[in-house]
Amino acid sequence: MSDRKIVFFSIFRHLLPSDYENWLERMAAEGWHIDRIRQWDSVFMTFQRGKPKNYRFVYDLQFSPRQEYIATYQQFGWEHLGRMASAHIWRMEYEGERPQAFSDQEGLVDRNRRNLIAVSVSFFIFLAAVIAIGLALGFAFDSLSAGDRTQLIIAGIFFGMILFALGYIMVLMWKNLMR
Amino acid sequence: MSETMFYILLSLKQERHGYAIMQHVKELTKGRTILGAGTVYSSLGKLESDGLVEKIREEKRRIIYIITPLGAQILHEEADRIAELYNNVKELL
Repeated sequence: MSDRKIVFFSIFRHLLPSDYENWLERMAAEGWHIDRIRQWDSVFMTFQRGKPKNYRFVYDLQFSPRQEYIATYQQFGWEHLGRMASAHIWRMEYEGERPQAFSDQEGLVDRNRRNLIAVSVSFFIFLAAVIAIGLALGFAFDSLSAGDRTQLIIAGIFFGMILFALGYIMVLMWKNLMR
Repeated sequence: MSETMFYILLSLKQERHGYAIMQHVKELTKGRTILGAGTVYSSLGKLESDGLVEKIREEKRRIIYIITPLGAQILHEEADRIAELYNNVKELL
């Protein structure tokens, strides 16, 4: 049996921060560990086999954390595994009561809202792209070559699909702001 | 004001860093309220941007905060509100 497990696109399989945390926790409980998180781990994440452990993970998106961000978590006993873009991943081994980084509902909602904002920014960028393609096709259709039209239509469909997916994720995050 | 914000402000009548705030609140509430790292970090950010607490120095990578005069005023107003609430319900206790 292999001592290594690679998971592709983990961030897209577990769309909510709490789901991502729970998935990492289940992996650790099954003995699959990751001790360092790097930028590309959202695309492919490599786990090493070890002893099953109870770890609590925290997924915390911080666009521009203050100076004391890392030190504060560390003083509370959290281990900083690294980050994927602005998403910091923390873990803490525990027995008995499961530790919480967000002890009140307000902090949890704020954390989830930051994720929603990040997805919303991408959504509006793709929305602008789809609108621009639509306008180009609508106003300059006759002046475009057949090849350009085809390329624009393909790009429009592709961006539209991404837009739809981002919209779905936004709704999902909005409905789950409290967890 | 949330209970978390109230207790953090109350703790910062004396200078403290994030972890010391958690310990103080845990002691005050006899273990009922244990603030998490994320909650303390984000609450301090909000309180500081509202001018209710301020950083006074850094010690071993820990930022020490204290309540501002505005924070003390807000804390007392909140304490008055809670006292009024208590007076109005104490016969139920």
